[in-house]
Amino acid sequence: MDYDKLLNVSVELGCRLMSSGAEIYRVEESVRRLLQAYGLESPEVFAIPNCVIVSIATPEGHPITRMRRIAGHGTNIELLEQCNGLCRRLCAERLPVDEAQELLLALAEHTPQYENRKVLLGYGIAPAFFSPLFGGGVEDALAALIGGLAVGFCLLYGGRLIGTNSFFRTAICSAVASLLSLLLVRLGLGQSVDTVSISVLMVLVPGVALTNAMREIMAGDIISGLSRAADSILTAAAIAIGAAIGLAIGGIF
Amino acid sequence: MSAVWTEYILPCVCSFVACLGFTLVFNIHGVGKLICGVGGALGWLVYLLAGSTILAAFLASAAIGVYSEMMARLRRCPVTGYLLVALLPLVPGGGIYYAMSYCVAGDIQRFLDTLLHTFGMAAALAVGAMMTASLFRAAYPYLRRSK
Repeated sequence: MDYDKLLNVSVELGCRLMSSGAEIYRVEESVRRLLQAYGLESPEVFAIPNCVIVSIATPEGHPITRMRRIAGHGTNIELLEQCNGLCRRLCAERLPVDEAQELLLALAEHTPQYENRKVLLGYGIAPAFFSPLFGGGVEDALAALIGGLAVGFCLLYGGRLIGTNSFFRTAICSAVASLLSLLLVRLGLGQSVDTVSISVLMVLVPGVALTNAMREIMAGDIISGLSRAADSILTAAAIAIGAAIGLAIGGIF
Repeated sequence: MSAVWTEYILPCVCSFVACLGFTLVFNIHGVGKLICGVGGALGWLVYLLAGSTILAAFLASAAIGVYSEMMARLRRCPVTGYLLVALLPLVPGGGIYYAMSYCVAGDIQRFLDTLLHTFGMAAALAVGAMMTASLFRAAYPYLRRSK
């Protein structure tokens, strides 16, 4: 068997899993199971949120290691489910390594992905229906819808303008959200600036990072858990700073 | 009757639709969308019934934890997606915002109160979902055997 190729496939799978939002233990477990299914005795896998290291020893005793750094993180549940399904299938059927590689490379293309306007719609719907939960009426919901669409637009299309630093991006979006809520309420759409801003800010809130952080810590991956927890606290701070800036700018007019 | 409608049913429907919105953002397809939406509505219902306190957030996230673990077992899918989306309505976005506005206004006492309350909510959410997930994982083999 070509162990170099097997190693490449497994690292690639780990990388896909991680960048679509899997927990550390899932990445490590999936890669380890895959390698064990192909007959390796004790593969070693180490993963932290932006790096996967896989080390195996061939039956002849020759050690090979590969490291893969993961640049961007997102949450793509469909891709995660597909990767998970592929991993299970490979473990059960033990397809030839070349075929496994082809399947893995084809995975991203075959995974359904919502078009940008649908995602934008999602960014709009969520705040609009959050506002009744925070005591808003129909007008507040409309204002939140507009705010959410604006934030979604910034996140989806404003990448080049506001950079890729996630804290800076969050702060800018949060400033846009609070400034827009202030303006909309001044113009007469919506009753309360607070309700509208909070509803819009819910799309930026670090719920994903917080949930993942706790899952990592419960699974025993303390380093990854702490780094994700720090991520969620910094994101919350960025939201607060951005909202303060937005309100301050709005206060000038 | 109308009180039940406006106080419980309508918020849960809103939570359901808001979660559907998030499934578009996180690229969840098919039945998964409905599962996430129902999870969000369930979480919010428990939160309202238990009195909208930190303890209520804990109970709500515990309910969501059990629900999403069950759904993940049924569909043989990673639990992450369902859990993430269903917990989102409970994340204390309001706390962050009010803490910020008190801080800017220089009202230190209320700033600290709100900040601690926000941390409490976040911790309750995280611990609630994770504890039930761990318990569920420990108890699942026995539940399965007794069927």
